[in-house]
Amino acid sequence: MRITRRQFGALASAAVLVHNIPADAANPDVLVPGWDLPANLDPHQVLDVPAQNVALNLYDNLYRYEGNPPELVPWLAESHTVSPDGLQWEFKLRDGARFHDGSPVTPEDVVFSFQRILKIGKAPAAAFLPVLKPEGIAAADPRTVRIRLEKAYGPFFSAVPMVMIVNQKLVKSHDKDGDWGAAWLGSNEAGSGSYRLIPDTYTPLEKADIERNEGHFLGWQHNEHPIRRVEIRPTKETSTRVLALLNGSLDLTDTYLPVDQIENIEKSAVAHVNRNQTMRIFLIRMNNTKPPFDNVNARKCLAHAFNYKGFIDEILKGNAQRDPTPLPNTVWGFPRDAAGYEYDLKKAKEYFNKAVADGAPMKRPVEIHILQQLEQTTQAAQVFQADLASLGINLKIVSDTFPNLTTSTGKAETTPDMWVHWVSTYFVDPENWVGQMYDSQFHGTWKASAWYKNPKVDELLRKARGLVDQEQRAPLYEEATRLIVADSPDIWIYNTIELAGMSNRVKGARYCPVGSGSEVRWMSLSA
Amino acid sequence: MLRFVLRRVLTAIPSLFGLLIITFLLIRVVPADPAAALAGDNATPQQIEAIRHQYGFDRPITEQLFLYLGQVLRFDFGESQFSHRAVGVDLRQRLPATLELAFAALLLATALGIPLGVIAAVYHNRWPDFLLRVLSVTGIAVAAFWFAITLQLIFAMNLGWLPLRGELSSGIVPPPSVTGSLILDAAIAGRWGVVADALQHLVLPAITLSVGALATITRFTRAGVLETMQKDFVLYERAVGYPRWRLVWVYVLRNSVIAAVTQIGLLFGALIGGAVVVEAIFDWPGVGNYLVNAILTADYKVMLAATLMIGVVYTLVNILIDLVHGWLDPRLWEQP
Repeated sequence: MRITRRQFGALASAAVLVHNIPADAANPDVLVPGWDLPANLDPHQVLDVPAQNVALNLYDNLYRYEGNPPELVPWLAESHTVSPDGLQWEFKLRDGARFHDGSPVTPEDVVFSFQRILKIGKAPAAAFLPVLKPEGIAAADPRTVRIRLEKAYGPFFSAVPMVMIVNQKLVKSHDKDGDWGAAWLGSNEAGSGSYRLIPDTYTPLEKADIERNEGHFLGWQHNEHPIRRVEIRPTKETSTRVLALLNGSLDLTDTYLPVDQIENIEKSAVAHVNRNQTMRIFLIRMNNTKPPFDNVNARKCLAHAFNYKGFIDEILKGNAQRDPTPLPNTVWGFPRDAAGYEYDLKKAKEYFNKAVADGAPMKRPVEIHILQQLEQTTQAAQVFQADLASLGINLKIVSDTFPNLTTSTGKAETTPDMWVHWVSTYFVDPENWVGQMYDSQFHGTWKASAWYKNPKVDELLRKARGLVDQEQRAPLYEEATRLIVADSPDIWIYNTIELAGMSNRVKGARYCPVGSGSEVRWMSLSA
Repeated sequence: MLRFVLRRVLTAIPSLFGLLIITFLLIRVVPADPAAALAGDNATPQQIEAIRHQYGFDRPITEQLFLYLGQVLRFDFGESQFSHRAVGVDLRQRLPATLELAFAALLLATALGIPLGVIAAVYHNRWPDFLLRVLSVTGIAVAAFWFAITLQLIFAMNLGWLPLRGELSSGIVPPPSVTGSLILDAAIAGRWGVVADALQHLVLPAITLSVGALATITRFTRAGVLETMQKDFVLYERAVGYPRWRLVWVYVLRNSVIAAVTQIGLLFGALIGGAVVVEAIFDWPGVGNYLVNAILTADYKVMLAATLMIGVVYTLVNILIDLVHGWLDPRLWEQP
């Protein structure tokens, strides 16, 4: 291959004398979101916010959360029934749903999907492993799936949307050494969703392009100008992400936009900030097994020493809603009468003295671990550090990562004194928060890293878990939450208002806390 | 010469194994449990334990190390715990982008650094020298992320001359992969528009990456030229009226540049390392980005293979630099 001088000259000119390069995302039917990509594309292996973003577009589930507050709506299933004892569930599939390869979605695919989740045993399986065996799932007839639980489990129906339905035949054809197609599906897809993956475009964690599935069962009547193609381009640096939104090379940011970037976006004529009340609580954990945190007065001292209003109003510029409990204030089972703890250094000092009288080592240096990539965790720790210093408590801030912390919280002795994090919505049920955070049977998981134990709370949570009727369950969660708040095992700060940058050309987006409004099927692009 | 190369290659092998063993041990010292990371956000301790057993993380560390070294000897770098893809394949896919960026930065730093160094030496203790000294110290001291964001604000946002991020504009279909380098592949396919687009995307990351190297090369060239200009042969040439600039560029420079060439070899390693930050800021799909993701998710086979690969590239470039040394000063071939 030879390049002539003329070609070289043209090339050099083109490369150098460029003015006003058109924005990358200006293509009228190509959406360019800056979402992170999940570690792999298999919805049965990965369950986190990026995985939800992708899976809700590539796959369908039996029921799906839509709207805010989220409601379960029939999706691949047109209806369901449950036996009075809550053990037997039947889901009737709708007609006409097809996978991307054209084959129909059958009950066998649903059975395979549930069994695959149980066999692979990764995150989405956690909600089902205690109550469901692979043989408990069967096709009852050509349109019905029957699921028999080992014991009644209230959160089951709420967790059903976590199961994305995969094409059994396609996945089985790529099974390698009995891996249930895990290696193949990590870089491919076998769904029936509104969009399909263009496999050649996929580079793990770097990029993925998806295109519209015109034959989706739901049709496209609701959207006059559906988006033809989506180019997912993760953008690691916040500053780059925001600049890219402002120069039009990205259409959407993620939903963790730092508050200090909001003004920049709001001043712009090309983009805006979407604010949505969600179900993601922010809290400071305390290791209740380590002195002085094993003393309730010490814990209450700390709960009164955090400047909730100052943090929310000054640091977050009001972009969060104070939530004094471990439950999002938007989920059922939230006790409306729970006052929680307010910032009051005088009360904090009183509890400090009580704790000292109890023999708690209040002067010992305390460590708080923050998530180094998430600036807000540092800010919270710094706010706390200043106030604790005035009480004579020496708080040392330690930078850490989520994988390190999930490992160290496996044992009480290696769990840090304190750490800061969020708990997001994986399924909309109090079980996702108080159930898994404060029932002592979950000790050893990062969610239960307070190592809190109260037999009465355990009893209430287990009872609530064994019931199916929400009206019966709600008071049990309310009571358990009140007891937990009274024991003050952690410091609950706020329920998140999600902040996401969005190009003004994106229209019709529908927000839901599950998936953070990432379903592209509702969106269109104006010229 | 062949003996020289062979000797360099043979001495590199134990170094690379040393690198691998140290990296392996360092990774395992960090408390992050790959099984916990792999199990995901909602996993139970039982699930984590099952995964730990499945991947062999519960075996003694020496056994894990020897198993891994055995795999590496067979050029099998294992698979990513998360993507389930062969790490070797993923690295091959990303290496060209990093090399493209590092070579562009090195080319820029060398093409500008050597002439600037010569100018600084020729105008020793006069204003061009002072100016270049200030600039080179600034270049070494400036933080890459600050400089990158400044360039983005000026050239991508305010002037709109260059793209902000990525390696290709949206909507452009990449050329078929032959070499893995987007620019070369587009040129091979004769898609000059794609070449131009890719070059535009390369400019800001390459400039950012080159700044530190440019400053170092300028300083080393300046020092080398200053030293050579004190030599007798230069005094003689000047005395006989040899044209000044010809003397500097042809004779002085060749005798002065060895130290700068050594630096270029060392800088290449620094550039590959520095690419981690630059790739993250500009969303450049190279090894640096891949490595950062692996560190954040405790994907230890990726960390090991990426570190080894950077070590191999660094070693190869240094062997190449030794060859250039030999070309500049053939006496080096004779050394034991």
